[in-house]
Amino acid sequence: MPDVLPAKEAGFVDPKALMAIRNLELRARVVVEGFWSGLHRSPYHGFSVEFTEYRPYSQGEDTRYLDWRLYARSDRFYLKKFEDETNLRCYLLVDHSRSMSYRSLTYSKSDYARTFAATLAWFLNAQGDAVGLFSFDERVRDYLPARHRHGHLRQLMLALEREPAGRATNLTEPLRRVAELARKRGLIVLISDLLAPVGELENHLARLTAAGHELVVFQVLDPNELAFNFPTAMLFQDVESEKDLYIDPEAARASYQRRLREHGEGVEAVCRKLGAAFHGVLTDRPLDLALLDFLRSRVRRGKLVRRRQQRVSK
Amino acid sequence: MNFLSPWFLLGSLAVAGPILFHLIRRAARERTTFSSLLFLRATPPKAVRRSKLEHIWLLLLRSLCVLLLAVGFARPFFAHDISPRGAAAQERRLILLVDTSASMRREGLWDKARATVDRYLDKTTPSDQVAILTFDQQPRTLVSFADWSAWSQDQRAVLARQRLAVVAPGWMGTQLGLALSGAAELFRENSVARREIVLITDLQEGAKLDGLQGYQWPAGARVIVERLPAKQQSNAGLEILEPPAAIAGVEEDVHVRVANSGDSRKEKFHLGWKGSSERMEIYLTPTQLRTFTAPKPPVGMKSGALELTGDDLDYDNLSYYAAPEIQHVRMCCDGLGATNDPAGMFYYLQRVFPATPRRQIEFASQLERQDAFAVIATNFAPPEIAVWRDWLEKGKTALLVLTGADSGPTLAGLLGLPEAQVTEAGGEYALLGSIDFQHPIFAPFDDPRFSDFSQIHFWKHRRWEIPASVKARVLAHFDDGSPALTQIPVREGNLLVLASGWNPADSQLAVSSKFPPLLETMLDWSGAGAPSRYQFRTGDAIPSPVAIGASVRWQKPDGKQITLAAGAPFAETDTPGIYHAFAEERERLFAVNIPLEESRTAPISQDDLARLGVPLGLENEQAAAIARVHQQHLQDAELENRQKLWRWLIVAALAVTFAEIVLSGWLARRVTTTEAML
Repeated sequence: MPDVLPAKEAGFVDPKALMAIRNLELRARVVVEGFWSGLHRSPYHGFSVEFTEYRPYSQGEDTRYLDWRLYARSDRFYLKKFEDETNLRCYLLVDHSRSMSYRSLTYSKSDYARTFAATLAWFLNAQGDAVGLFSFDERVRDYLPARHRHGHLRQLMLALEREPAGRATNLTEPLRRVAELARKRGLIVLISDLLAPVGELENHLARLTAAGHELVVFQVLDPNELAFNFPTAMLFQDVESEKDLYIDPEAARASYQRRLREHGEGVEAVCRKLGAAFHGVLTDRPLDLALLDFLRSRVRRGKLVRRRQQRVSK
Repeated sequence: MNFLSPWFLLGSLAVAGPILFHLIRRAARERTTFSSLLFLRATPPKAVRRSKLEHIWLLLLRSLCVLLLAVGFARPFFAHDISPRGAAAQERRLILLVDTSASMRREGLWDKARATVDRYLDKTTPSDQVAILTFDQQPRTLVSFADWSAWSQDQRAVLARQRLAVVAPGWMGTQLGLALSGAAELFRENSVARREIVLITDLQEGAKLDGLQGYQWPAGARVIVERLPAKQQSNAGLEILEPPAAIAGVEEDVHVRVANSGDSRKEKFHLGWKGSSERMEIYLTPTQLRTFTAPKPPVGMKSGALELTGDDLDYDNLSYYAAPEIQHVRMCCDGLGATNDPAGMFYYLQRVFPATPRRQIEFASQLERQDAFAVIATNFAPPEIAVWRDWLEKGKTALLVLTGADSGPTLAGLLGLPEAQVTEAGGEYALLGSIDFQHPIFAPFDDPRFSDFSQIHFWKHRRWEIPASVKARVLAHFDDGSPALTQIPVREGNLLVLASGWNPADSQLAVSSKFPPLLETMLDWSGAGAPSRYQFRTGDAIPSPVAIGASVRWQKPDGKQITLAAGAPFAETDTPGIYHAFAEERERLFAVNIPLEESRTAPISQDDLARLGVPLGLENEQAAAIARVHQQHLQDAELENRQKLWRWLIVAALAVTFAEIVLSGWLARRVTTTEAML
């Protein structure tokens, strides 16, 4: 569960004010620039490092990558091995299902999720990383491959600006599709309310981690979804299934909160098991903090990787 | 306030619906969308007592709408008496109409009839007016309303019973239609509202219902049919038919019509003359009516009875028979010419009257006292005229044919006039101009098919002036206006004067098809003919065998003798049997029988009466009570239909519904606005 911070904490941008900005790109920029201005004091460094290695040439290999200078120096054939792209490939998976349209504030979960995705995209793009996008409801709606080139960010913003149109949240099909399309290893950021049965979530997430992707999961919830504050008993209509249910909030609150908590814990447990980072985000939480969460998870992940490498080298 | 369909008021229980829905806090407008119901479970609705004022108004409107609809469907009306009956409703006129026809002679029926009358007499109240009528061929008043009113109250029933005790069923037919309409006519005298005819009868199928179709029944009259239950018995009856006009040279048979009753179980019967052992076997299915040739009557039998055997009831098994007499008519014909001279008149006259098995006509040239009819075509000397006139004055009839201008003295002499002017008419020929078809002589021709006399040319005819002192009736005029055939009364007799002859030199009359019937009707009219009927039914009047002359002495089958004037018909044919008529030293026999319809004893349905428009009432109190309830219901329906309150209630319900829509809409808007403001 997310640590609930007051919205107007410590100079962070109030999401309500942020959401008043209509342009998504501008919103992302405000967050990232504000974040950077704070980052000068931050103890964290960038996380995207180039990696190069030399490997003795074996017969039959492509000679294109031979380091002729080294050969000139040492009379040995070495292949100069690069990472294909030195920068991070990041895929943003944004839930566009109708359940994301719920709001108790002036903006919906979807607005928040899209802004957050835009912020991440901007941030990563500014770092020179390649960013791709999958927006989905019960299946993948938009797909932009991870690139870092001029105008790509603009396309990404346009794709994000589309209003949610799908009905149900079904992670099965989109995650399978992502696994097919994102062949190269990278970072996958899943932004969704995850209001779907945990069921096969583990299998599909496991496919992604098994493919070598790094996974960060953000669960976006409306504060009222957590608090379940309604004045009177009334008919509740499911936005996705349009099913009606008569509910007295007083009577139903405790059990609802318990079930929701159990669900969150279930998802978190799955993530932990797969080595993925899980963050619960409420829509009244400043986006800067959410971004900070993301970076923290990256740092943790970096430490983890380093430890693992050390272990291997020993 | 009353209701036509009160069970619809149960619909007002539906008012529980709105009340219940208002108690359950589950208004449709309180609805919200939520991201997912995945973690929610339905909460059972909670009943909460409502106390908001506006919702109570809504509830009231909804309940009112349901109540208005329920009351509207129950079809309310304000009761008030619309019955035409006023204060006189309690007063009642009751006619007990008792059948005394021959079919009531069946075993036990009359006792039942009297018991039924007793029952009704016992039930009368002092305000009732009762009359008792019996009927067969015609209704007879046994106790009139006046009698009833005149008697003291405690004596009424007793006296009425005494009068009924002397009555028994007769032998007559049943004229039910006549009796019912006759009884109903008694109601027209005053305006009492309750008018009941109690018809006490066996309601046999032979009853005649003439006169009921289209009869205008007095207002409020009801007929209560008390059908007397008869034991089912096979019955057949017979009736000897009137022999048809005799034809020369044909031997006469006796024909009998036999009817088998509709409820009969037998089909085989025997016919035979009473006193004879000869029996003829006949077969009839139930309801069948057939005519048979009866066995030969014994030779020389003048009267007798044909007997039918084989059925269960014997009151109608005899049919009396009076043999038609052989009639001898002496006709004096003077001056008509030779027997075989086609130029003369007698040649044609004798061919008009051939001898038949029933009539022998003797043509004579000399007048005798017993001659019934005479045809004169000659001129007489004064002494002869006196003889003829004397004969005429005794009630005889003669036809005088004027043969020429010299016929004047004879005509004057016969009429007792000093002189009569007869002249030969000139011109080419004459036709008959106007004919008096009202006269019995021409009456048979009073039909467009037979009334054309224009084909008969009269080449020669004579003119004579009818003196003003003579009371003559001209039966036919020539087209020149002179009388052709004239009837002149001579004391008790009649003189017919024909102003032309039927010999070929005078006219075409003899060769015309009108000639034989014309002379036949003259003979019949003169009274010289034989009676045309010998078979009668009970209740029929037997025509007098002699039209003129001395009185006739009648003898009934029971030996009772009655003397009537000549020409007066005998009407006391109340018993079947052979009736004797003595006149002019001659005896004539007539047979009187029970009508064959009385043998058809199968009961008919009351529906047949209802179909003829008889206002049938009901037989017992329970049925009458049901009828009263039905009547009340009809009256209520009529009242409700006039008032039509349900329409206003439906309009009110619609208005309330509209008010409810407006109010609930306003409430919903108010709630939404409040929420928006919050």
